Amino acid sequence: MGARILIVEDERNVAETLAERLSAAGYEVRLADSAAAARRAIEGPALQLLLLDVGLPDGNGFDLAGELRARQPAAAVIFLTARGNPEDRVRGLELGADDYLTKPFHFRELLLRIQNCLKRAQDLAQLPGEMRGTVRIGRARVDFERFAAEVNGVWQPLTHKECAVLRLLASRAGKAVSRDEILDRAWSADEFPTSRTVDNFIVRLRKLVEENAADPQVIRSIRGVGYLLTEIARD
Amino acid sequence: MNLARLPKGQGNLSVLPVRRTRWIAAIVGLWLVLLLALAAWWTTLVFQQAQRIVELEAAMGNVGDALVRWERTRLMLVGESSFFLFLLLALSAGLAWLYWRENLRARSMQAFFASVTHELRTPLTSIRLQAEAIAEGEQRAELAQRLLEDSHRLELQIDRTLELARIEGGGPLAEQAIPLHSWLERVAADICAVYEERIDLEVQLDPQLPAIQADSAAVQMILRNLVENSVNHANVSPVRVQLAARANGGEVSLDYQDNGRGVEGDVQQLGRLFGRGAASRGTGIGLYLVRALMERMGGRVQFHSVPGSGLRVLLHFKAAQD
Repeated sequence: MGARILIVEDERNVAETLAERLSAAGYEVRLADSAAAARRAIEGPALQLLLLDVGLPDGNGFDLAGELRARQPAAAVIFLTARGNPEDRVRGLELGADDYLTKPFHFRELLLRIQNCLKRAQDLAQLPGEMRGTVRIGRARVDFERFAAEVNGVWQPLTHKECAVLRLLASRAGKAVSRDEILDRAWSADEFPTSRTVDNFIVRLRKLVEENAADPQVIRSIRGVGYLLTEIARD
Repeated sequence: MNLARLPKGQGNLSVLPVRRTRWIAAIVGLWLVLLLALAAWWTTLVFQQAQRIVELEAAMGNVGDALVRWERTRLMLVGESSFFLFLLLALSAGLAWLYWRENLRARSMQAFFASVTHELRTPLTSIRLQAEAIAEGEQRAELAQRLLEDSHRLELQIDRTLELARIEGGGPLAEQAIPLHSWLERVAADICAVYEERIDLEVQLDPQLPAIQADSAAVQMILRNLVENSVNHANVSPVRVQLAARANGGEVSLDYQDNGRGVEGDVQQLGRLFGRGAASRGTGIGLYLVRALMERMGGRVQFHSVPGSGLRVLLHFKAAQD
């Protein structure tokens, strides 16, 4: 059986057809028609992918994504939405969605994006030895396997994108990593993130690892190049 | 259905119109300040000139007449400038009100187009998925059934939008005497054919019921919108809908009741243009059309709901003259 996918979609015809077609493609599919049903479904066995509709009858898919991610940190997230405006798309990507697909879409396109997301999630799950367990980056203890970081005794979830960016910087600690390389490695070619998206992720990561985010010492900006991680240690 | 307060914050407004709105507000504000400054300058200047004339007259030895003339001139100037200032302020307030109304309307229109786009894209997604499955060789009755449902939803959405444009443009209605008993049974059968297992529609009408004076297309649109609302928001499937009617003086009241979850919040918000539930579904024109069409036909509508006990809608039609 293929990866386990949760479809959160209130439009019955769309949900049922997607479920049938994804099942035929070899995935194990579960359905939820509301945010409440999704919260119940997330308690079951581990999921590899969440397909979330943004407009739900009892909530907002953007808010729900964070909640579900906190319980299933390894699951990738793809937003499916009829809202095609750039603000929503940027919001979805900045929330750490692995992809964002505007309705109406071709099933084959969705299938391709699911495969890409699952592959990236799988790559992210394969950690090199020095990244296993917890590593200390600045003031934070980061557990890449659990997609979480601890600051001042409080654990908080990290999105896949945050993990991917942080891991890339950590694997090249002491060396500058260009913005283009960050975009290539953490985002897919069809997501069209802007350099603002990368900068926003860096701002969030700085809030996590820096003592004083206004004067960053751990993730430094290298003018005209990109970013450089200065401190990493095995915990 | 959970009603949200309206209309501020509806939909997703793009950045450009908000910027443009701020520019217009800034220009109007600047214009008002300049106008008031000009009025103050003019009043001061006229006072100074009048005073100078009076002083000259006094210097020529006619002090008594000069003082009387100065008092008259002063009263005239105070009266005229107050009136002028009042007109200016009234005009400015009128302009500000018009600007606010247009701004609100523009925002509502943007929200409306955003939600109509959403409502069109969703069935379109489903239609594309079913069509792709059929094109790839799948032959199942469910696919055809879903295609029919989605095409019906698109059709209703387009009809609603056109009806809204017609009503807002003051388009005419073709009112005639409709014998509700026989006519409604046919309409109910059509509705059941569309929604199939999603609705359990029961019509209980007295064959002796007087005919109503109404536009049959408008009454069909009203019923389709009420049923669509029940099917989408009742949160039970099949939703049970009961239709009954009674004559009351010169009116015939059609009583529509579903067994859904009812409405949370102020039920009077129902039927407002672009009024939508807290959930993102719906364009906010379905129940508005119910209210607007009833009023255009000289009737009225009343919404009643207790959360958990369904939605009840009373449609009061004019009885046809014999």
